[in-house]
Amino acid sequence: MTAATDMTSMPGATPIVRRTPKATFDAVFRNASFGAAMLVLVLLAGIMVSMVVGGWPAFREFGLGFITSSVWDTQNEQYGAWPAIVGTLSTALIALVIGVPLSLGIAVYLTQLAPAWFKKPVATAIELLAAVPSIIYGMWGLFVFVPLFAQYVQIPLSNIVEGMPVVGTILYSRSPSGLGIFTAGIILAFMIVPFIASITRDMLEQIPSVLRESAYGIGATTWEVVRHVLVPQAGVSIIGAVMLGLGRALGETMAVTFVVGNANRLSASILDPGSTIASRIANEFNEALGLQLNALIALGCILFFVTFVVLVIARLLVARVKRY
Amino acid sequence: MLSTLELSPQSLDAEAPVRIAVKNLDFYYGEHKALKNINLDFRDRHVTALIGPSGCGKSTLLRIFNRIYSLYPEQKATGEILLDGRNIISNDVDVNELRSRVGMVFQKPTPFPMSIYDNVAFGIRLYEKPPKSELDDRVEGALRRAALWDEVKDKLKSSGMGLSGGQQQRLCIARTIAQKPEVILFDEPTSALDPISTGKIEDLLEQLKSDFTIAIVTHNMQQAARISQYTAFMYLGEVVEFAPTNTIFMNPAKKQTQDYVTGRFG
Repeated sequence: MTAATDMTSMPGATPIVRRTPKATFDAVFRNASFGAAMLVLVLLAGIMVSMVVGGWPAFREFGLGFITSSVWDTQNEQYGAWPAIVGTLSTALIALVIGVPLSLGIAVYLTQLAPAWFKKPVATAIELLAAVPSIIYGMWGLFVFVPLFAQYVQIPLSNIVEGMPVVGTILYSRSPSGLGIFTAGIILAFMIVPFIASITRDMLEQIPSVLRESAYGIGATTWEVVRHVLVPQAGVSIIGAVMLGLGRALGETMAVTFVVGNANRLSASILDPGSTIASRIANEFNEALGLQLNALIALGCILFFVTFVVLVIARLLVARVKRY
Repeated sequence: MLSTLELSPQSLDAEAPVRIAVKNLDFYYGEHKALKNINLDFRDRHVTALIGPSGCGKSTLLRIFNRIYSLYPEQKATGEILLDGRNIISNDVDVNELRSRVGMVFQKPTPFPMSIYDNVAFGIRLYEKPPKSELDDRVEGALRRAALWDEVKDKLKSSGMGLSGGQQQRLCIARTIAQKPEVILFDEPTSALDPISTGKIEDLLEQLKSDFTIAIVTHNMQQAARISQYTAFMYLGEVVEFAPTNTIFMNPAKKQTQDYVTGRFG
């Protein structure tokens, strides 16, 4: 028994005076949290408005041609976004094609197959990879990966495919420097693997062991359990993880600027240098004035829009999987 | 307490062949010895119930029969479990093939993330490649046997996750029997279900025993009494008493058994 209750039980003792709760603090708290939530909306609206306003002169000058034109000529003030849009989408696509299977493989291995002593170090390594700043990836890519890629992949591959139909164009490198769209895609893949792999691993780990046991329990092999039960069970979350990776790949600036080659023209070969929206902005923002600056902000607008579309598609996909 | 027990009709056949013979079985979780020198016989086309307080090892024992414990490297069994004369805990047994012959239904319903039809067809497709019409028949037959067909026949293509808990558990039973196993293991199959669903599943067990050898772990003594012909009472990793169900509940040889079935401990 506490002292307080002892006192109340004593006859003749003064009754406890209960403090009335202060309603003022409640109001302060409610308004503060409302303000925090509003800030998000205001920020988003502010960014959108300033992007559109800043990019408007370029859109007005070139109309739809800003998106479809491949010319980027600062001397004659002619600007078209097409090569940068294609570069952005193709580097991100290459990153996904390489990165997603790799990530799923890592996650499945770590949760289903790896011996206990091996799980911990690999899982930690993945978390560390996710924390590596993008400029490190860029430097490593430029100084270590690019020369090796040129010597051992680009040159031999170009020699093989030269003159072949289709692949002779797509995989042929005119100047095998190691820089290019494909190199940027590979570096981006390295950058998104830690994200996708660690989220997927967490999701697979959260699946109740009884589901896994009952899949094994009807005689399914590890492959069948993973392919037909575990991955579909974690499906929505895996799509979410992939979309997070895609978002990062689309917007990644520093590492891509290092290795993409920063060419303004569009090449049919994925081994040739190109540029992405983010790399173009990073390269030119310092010296940009007038219409060029408006064109760069308009590029930013497009990136904003592309990322938004990706998000919407991701949401739709997730909704479809959920319905099933 | 004893008088309120509704005992199963004695369809017990003492001459029925032994399907699973457990001999001198020990089981370890790492260093911890969870089962000590188990000796039990499971007779063909009979229901054998494993009862005992929580932690007595009855689920552990059940999980050895289809080698589910092999998923966990730190778990180890020694001794012999003979299924039709073959020792299933030896290393040269193909565990996947074994699991297709020894089905298991778990405590919680575990529908797979696929359609109702595919849930049932999944197990069949793993080991057989029947033509579509035959597969359809097998799926329908299994769902009928699991008393689920009428409730799902119009939505076979929709997800198995959308069913109620009791329906999901019957779906899991359909999935198991579709594979035509020889033995079915039930690990407290009704503990997560309401009384009506429980009743349906008990009726189902009664019918299934004409085709399958059944082992069931249950916390519910009335359930053990209603549906089983043999009962093993386990305590602290050992089999205290193993006898026909009527004997265990009406006339147990050991005082410990009597105390447990009359609710005096456990």
